[in-house]
Amino acid sequence: MTTPAVDWFALSPTLALLAAAGLALLGSVLVPHRATRVFSAVVCALGFVGAGVAAGLLYWKSPNATLEVADAIRRDRFGALAQIVLAGVGFLAVGISYAQRVRRDHIGEYYALLAAAGGGMVFLVEAQNLMTLFLGLEWFSICLYILCAIEIDRVGSLEAGLKYLIVGSFGSAILLFGSALVYGATGALEFGEIAAAIEQGSLQDDGLVLAGLAMLLAGLGFKASAAPFHMWTPDVYEGAPTPVTAFMAAATKAVALVLTMRILVTAFPAEEDLWTIAVAVIACVSLAWGNIAALVQRNLKRMLAYSSVSHAGFMLIAIAANNELGGRALLYYLIPYSAASLGAFAVIAARERELGDRVTLDNIGGMGWERPTLGVAMWIFMLAFAGLPLTGGFVGKFYVFAAAYDRGWWWLVIAGVIATAISLYYYLAVIRAMYMRMPAELRLAPAGGSPPREALLSASVVACAAVTVGSFFLVEPLIDLAEKAASQLPF
Amino acid sequence: MMGPDVSWYIVLSGFLFTTGALGVLLRRSPLIVLLSLEIMLNSANLALIGFARHLGEHDGQIFALAVMAIAASEVVVGLGLIVAMNRSNVELDVDKLTTLRG
Repeated sequence: MTTPAVDWFALSPTLALLAAAGLALLGSVLVPHRATRVFSAVVCALGFVGAGVAAGLLYWKSPNATLEVADAIRRDRFGALAQIVLAGVGFLAVGISYAQRVRRDHIGEYYALLAAAGGGMVFLVEAQNLMTLFLGLEWFSICLYILCAIEIDRVGSLEAGLKYLIVGSFGSAILLFGSALVYGATGALEFGEIAAAIEQGSLQDDGLVLAGLAMLLAGLGFKASAAPFHMWTPDVYEGAPTPVTAFMAAATKAVALVLTMRILVTAFPAEEDLWTIAVAVIACVSLAWGNIAALVQRNLKRMLAYSSVSHAGFMLIAIAANNELGGRALLYYLIPYSAASLGAFAVIAARERELGDRVTLDNIGGMGWERPTLGVAMWIFMLAFAGLPLTGGFVGKFYVFAAAYDRGWWWLVIAGVIATAISLYYYLAVIRAMYMRMPAELRLAPAGGSPPREALLSASVVACAAVTVGSFFLVEPLIDLAEKAASQLPF
Repeated sequence: MMGPDVSWYIVLSGFLFTTGALGVLLRRSPLIVLLSLEIMLNSANLALIGFARHLGEHDGQIFALAVMAIAASEVVVGLGLIVAMNRSNVELDVDKLTTLRG
């Protein structure tokens, strides 16, 4: 029995964030009270910067995919690119969180948990065996349960935390049982070995493998909030503190979808006929359900929650295509999608702090005139969600449809186009509400005066808008990066 | 070292998993729901250990150990939330947690 060699470099993004989490926690004890907020936010942001740099180096230095640490993780560009996106999301989330009113004795914990959740995520996208898959999933999920409930004086926050915990753990338990069944049938935990065992033992029609695969898909569906596993999404997105919602909407979905693609492509190529259909069906259900439910929402956070369900549907189309073009499409799509959802939730957070109340289509009225920067940014995010040109959302959807078409599934393309058309209605309704309508009942901040200046939040929103638009103009280099990453998966 | 065949363990773990899932879906007290979640995780543990023994290797057992640690931390967070809700005088009934709805 030998100890496995540990490739510390492959783990460096995770380690950077873990170190940040530890320092932020220490800081909440050792640093004077006045400076806790600055200290922990800076440490957390530096952690995400470090993770991003490490992931960038990892991308650069991994021209060939290798299995590391006793085959538990796979060091490849596919994971590294996802890590870069996640690190960016986390960094901007710190900026959005900064002015959020968190109880003073919880500030250190807030940033520590944010960094720890990020650490779990960047670990998870490298996962190459069922055990690291489950560990990574629970690692970031448990951090997020606490983050959702961190405003413990507000019932809505607690309720969101408990609901997320119950539904999230339910999903994880299903995923775990599925892993156990797959392990039992194939005798392997590592994705590649599972594929080999299914191939050699002709287990394609084995009941245990099929049941296990179905349960794995369902468990990941819960995390990606794809319909019909999305029922927690609107409640949790609404109840959680808005910066946490922003982080969750962008990062959790990215992680879950990247991992779904990785496990399906590497571990179950032999079951391809089955899971491509299953994923395509889940994608269609998500598109239909997410868009139709979003149409009737007045509360903006709930509307964006349903919109995130429909975007899970778009990204699942890329997974269902099961070709290299699909991998490229998924990785590219994540960039404008994460930026737009972070930014949109940040704008909502700004409005929420101004009003001290839930943001609805009624009380967002006039915001476009009051705070022009945020108004213009919201324009950009909504257009990106709807997939209109001059934003990366357009290119993302184009590549997703191209991947589906490449596989010969034109019906999936049609479903996506119809969903896009429906979604225009409610995305444009937000813009209309911000500019065209006078607020039904205008409620300004109770203290009166001009809205609080939040330079960091505005800077983060501007950065998100820049990424959303920039990903349209820089599409070639980005697609190139995504192509190199996707080519390392065994399609 | 002969015991019952592995299939018995799997049947039992499937039964436990169903019990836990029904508990999560049907019971209303958050405490019982947490308990049911634990039953689900532990049923998977039983399956993992049963399979590991059947296959004559250790991966599944190590996996089960890790799952136990995770289950414990999940319960810690869950109980913490329930205590916090209790302190803010929220009625402990998952059907009545409807502040968030629309």
